[in-house]
Amino acid sequence: MKNLLLLSLLISSTAIYAGHHEPHDMDSMHSHEGHIHNEMVNGKNIDVDAQRFDTFMIGIDNNAVAVVSVQGMVCDFCARGIEKTFGKDKRVSKIDVDLASGKVLLAFPVADDIDSADIRKKILNNGLNTTDIQIVGK
Amino acid sequence: MRALIIILCVLLSSACFSRPISYVGGHTLMANSGSLTDNIYWHYTPNINYSVGLDYQRDKVSNEYFPSARFTYLINRKNTAKSQRNLYLKTGVGLNDSNNHFYSLAGDWETRRLFTSFSLKQSSGAGYDMFEQSVKVGVAPYLGDYGDLHTWLMVETKKNDLGNKRITYPVLRLFKGGALIEMSYHKKTDWDVHLMYRF
Repeated sequence: MKNLLLLSLLISSTAIYAGHHEPHDMDSMHSHEGHIHNEMVNGKNIDVDAQRFDTFMIGIDNNAVAVVSVQGMVCDFCARGIEKTFGKDKRVSKIDVDLASGKVLLAFPVADDIDSADIRKKILNNGLNTTDIQIVGK
Repeated sequence: MRALIIILCVLLSSACFSRPISYVGGHTLMANSGSLTDNIYWHYTPNINYSVGLDYQRDKVSNEYFPSARFTYLINRKNTAKSQRNLYLKTGVGLNDSNNHFYSLAGDWETRRLFTSFSLKQSSGAGYDMFEQSVKVGVAPYLGDYGDLHTWLMVETKKNDLGNKRITYPVLRLFKGGALIEMSYHKKTDWDVHLMYRF
């Protein structure tokens, strides 16, 4: 009986560890100590406000994020269409617009392909220009 | 007298709203209420280079209505990391009387902190022609984040070749989400209120 209890404990603790470990790959996207600034994608640093990125990632663990650098996004009204346009795209799980940095964060399920050309086209349809797209978490 | 009223209608309806072209597929509804006219203007943006719209004005003095069709074309846009600059060609023609029409060249340059715009407008109708020029400058007293209430303190100055007198007045612009309200005051024209909603 004691062995059975020990065995059960061992199995359940392994399961708990596995459950905890599974999302850890996604956790590596989180800033924790602000290291999202130092993370490299295609040889370039991702310059995103760490706290903002962490807040954005809440509730979307199994998502990759497109960090889109946008030119011309100087007012809320200019950026309003971005939320409208990407909001209609069912693949996009979450959107964040940061006027101060000129960055748009778009979350996509990890299983989905992220089409950079489509993102650029949608940004252009808002009268703005995309200068860079970095995919984090793929 | 009637010509003067029409002129004032056209003049007031030219009130400078920002972003005469929205995003592709976007609709914009505007309403204006001044001492002499009320108007409602809707426009749709099928392509990022132009918008089409309909304007419906009521003259408060004569109680006449002036519907018109409008077209705005984006001649040039320059986006940078910190600014946007636009140059537009705007036209409008009366649906009741095509003799009532206007065309204008308008431009703006904007950062998150500063705003400037200009407009050169030629209006024509039964028995009159008018050329009007206007300049608007503004400053945002604070920088709001996306979704916050944004505030602009502005000054606009206008002059046309009929009265040949320049009028200058303060403008307060507030917007949040897709809604914008703009209020201006001049002792001759009293309050002017503009509402805009983008969807």
